[in-house]
Amino acid sequence: MITRQLIEQIEGEASVYFDIKEKKVNFATVTFPHFRGMESILEGKNALDSLVISPRVCGICGHAHLMATVRALEDAYKNAGCEIILSEKAEKIREFTLIMEMIQNHFKWLYIVIIPELAKLTNSILEKKPLKGAYAASLAAKAIAIFGGQWPHSSYMIPGGVTCDPTQIDILQAQNHIDELISFFERESLGIALDKFLSFESCKDFNKEIQSDITLLEESLIVADMNHKGLAYDRFIVMGEHDFTHVAKLKQTRAFGVDSKYVSTVEAYSPQENTYAYNALYKDEYYETGPLARMMSISLPIIKNMHRRYKDSAYSRVMARVFEIGYMLNYAKELLQNIDILQESVVNVADIKKISASGLGIVEAPRGPLLHNIEIKQGIIQNYKIITPTQFNIGSSTIEKPTSVQIAMKGTTKEDALFIFRTFDVCSVCTTH
Amino acid sequence: MNDYSFNVKKELAMADRIEGVKKLFTSKSARVETNKGDAYYDKLFQTCQARVEELKTQQPINNRLDIEDVLEAHGIERRDFLKWASAVTGMLMLPASFTPLVADAALLMNRAPVIWLELQDCAGNSEALLRSDGPKIDEIVLDIISLEFHETLQAASGHQAEKQLEDAMEHFKDKYLLFVEGSIPMEMDGQYGTIGASAETFYDHLMRVSKHAAAIVAVGSCATFGGVPAASPNPTGAVGVMDVIKGKPIINIPACPANPANMVGVIIHYILTGQVPELDSLLRPKFAFGYRIHDNCERRAHFDAGEYVEEWGDEGAKNNFCLYKVGCKGPMTFNNCSIVRYNEGVNWPIGVGRGCIGCSEPDFWDKYAYERPMADANIKAPTGGVEKTVDEFGLGLLTAAGIGIGIHAVASALAGKKEDGGEV
Repeated sequence: MITRQLIEQIEGEASVYFDIKEKKVNFATVTFPHFRGMESILEGKNALDSLVISPRVCGICGHAHLMATVRALEDAYKNAGCEIILSEKAEKIREFTLIMEMIQNHFKWLYIVIIPELAKLTNSILEKKPLKGAYAASLAAKAIAIFGGQWPHSSYMIPGGVTCDPTQIDILQAQNHIDELISFFERESLGIALDKFLSFESCKDFNKEIQSDITLLEESLIVADMNHKGLAYDRFIVMGEHDFTHVAKLKQTRAFGVDSKYVSTVEAYSPQENTYAYNALYKDEYYETGPLARMMSISLPIIKNMHRRYKDSAYSRVMARVFEIGYMLNYAKELLQNIDILQESVVNVADIKKISASGLGIVEAPRGPLLHNIEIKQGIIQNYKIITPTQFNIGSSTIEKPTSVQIAMKGTTKEDALFIFRTFDVCSVCTTH
Repeated sequence: MNDYSFNVKKELAMADRIEGVKKLFTSKSARVETNKGDAYYDKLFQTCQARVEELKTQQPINNRLDIEDVLEAHGIERRDFLKWASAVTGMLMLPASFTPLVADAALLMNRAPVIWLELQDCAGNSEALLRSDGPKIDEIVLDIISLEFHETLQAASGHQAEKQLEDAMEHFKDKYLLFVEGSIPMEMDGQYGTIGASAETFYDHLMRVSKHAAAIVAVGSCATFGGVPAASPNPTGAVGVMDVIKGKPIINIPACPANPANMVGVIIHYILTGQVPELDSLLRPKFAFGYRIHDNCERRAHFDAGEYVEEWGDEGAKNNFCLYKVGCKGPMTFNNCSIVRYNEGVNWPIGVGRGCIGCSEPDFWDKYAYERPMADANIKAPTGGVEKTVDEFGLGLLTAAGIGIGIHAVASALAGKKEDGGEV
């Protein structure tokens, strides 16, 4: 019998249709029932309007959309023979705000989704503390606002750089938010210093002697046997060019090069209900994207150890994301220290009306690679296509060729499957846009 | 016509234009009555006091957090709380004597039945409030409300959530405030958006839940005017709440995202008075949308001095000059972000040299967006403003600003010549 389960708390809504056999998930399909038509809205508009419209695809990762758009526009400039060389300062500020968006996302996911859901599943001592997530996320958003003006839905990146021209005081303020965020993470989540956490090399290092949100989370994941559940294809992909990760396709631990031309999409399979989603594939295969993929591609000892023990289980997926919070906080702090405010914020670029070309912008959004493909004729958008990370992770395909999430849920109980579904960090509004 | 009379005429015309601009830009644009006289406020005070006393006798709504406990848990002292209350009092344009009442109203927040619906959107408004764009206490107040009733965030899901919603609707029949986030897709019989265990269309869902609401608060540009989903060619036939609901009090809090401070303002006002705040012709509360971005803009002095950013990254940009020529829509946009700002007052778009995109005005996505200076933006008159006076003012505005820029453009051209060593 097929049963429908409504999924909320995911930026919009989704339904999972379970085919249960002997109390285990035999197969499941996913439906995303919302649609806005962002791509067709962009078509026919001034290419620079995309800087205002694209971020509004998503309320939680709109900044990543802004950066994908601006990269697509800059790529179009390049393809039209007007290559834009950004100042290091502009690059770093963009990177900083992107990372802070990632951090706010992970905090929210951890405290508002994962801990409460895991507590339900294990009846454990895990305590629900959603306000913690909200507070940490607000600090990260404030750091973004210093450079971006507001969060969500900022438009401060433009072809050629960024519009802000921060002073030393702005940088100090941002540093202050980062310091507060780090000490909050140490005090409220880790129970130990960030440096010590980042020096972990084995899952055993999640010290059971001290008790913190993170050690309890780790323990509860083991109690729920999530270290043996939720395994997908053990294939990962990272596509956005950034200094904090490597672009790569990984099959188990073996890394290969990536070319965006091999990315394709197909309509999602949803026999029970109308869906507006597409599945994203690479060379016709399904991959997992996001923090685990990013952390795998830079071969961090702790993540390698985790993967050796528990492969791409729900445990690894969750803990890699928690680890990424610490890793990115540390990275963002260094990034800020190296911004040279005397450099130009923005370089001159040609009038958009002179640009007729197509361009591709790829960034690592909180959930993985986000691709924006733009085609411009004399400054007007002819065609716009968006491929989002959730389309990679939470595709819905047939039983013969299941997607990452479908494989991960197979063979578990429905309750476990619902938790595993959330370990991918679903974004419904992005998926259908 | 000889040269002399031509020149005189030209000078006169210029003087007229300068006068016109001066008049418009020094005219009191915020036609919000902020002092209604002692008799009015005394009466209002008594009404509010009676209401607060009555609310105190009621039980808090099940499972709702107690704000005093939460404030304590967050280490917020009574003194800071009162400071916040006095700021809210000011925002609501009430005399300072109302501060203790506002503080009481905030503490009674858990008596206010609020139901939150999320329709066709990006979840940005709930993100904005969850991630707390308001001062810290706004955040807590909104967390208390949103975490309990928010469709995206509530702990229950599926049938359980539906049941909770039914119970709340029944128990608080005709008393609850309904917050709506997101637009309503009308094409294809509403099938572009369905919700809940029974896959009801957004339209049906909204109609059902709004039927017994005391008032509806449309939050964000999508719920108010259709927002980005309604941008040309409006693929899903997206419309705002006021396009489909008639005969109910509706309060619009546009902007993308809406500022949480304004959401809190509306809730406190409701608790305090039991009424909707004074609205403009687009149903926006005047306390928040009674003036333009331009009126209180930190870069306003540069507009008046004719100092503009001519292109991104130029000397003007480095000196925080006015962004009008690179497309800022502040002179056309009614909202309080120049005062309240975003993310706990940290910053706002103009603060980072980006310019206002007019996100609290209808059709901003098609008409106001981007680098087009206002005069080229194909904006007809704004469809609204603060009541009639400001509506009329708004009508004249485009032309006025067009003239303004003309004059300033001449001035900056002349200045440029001087710098080049040319004769003026």
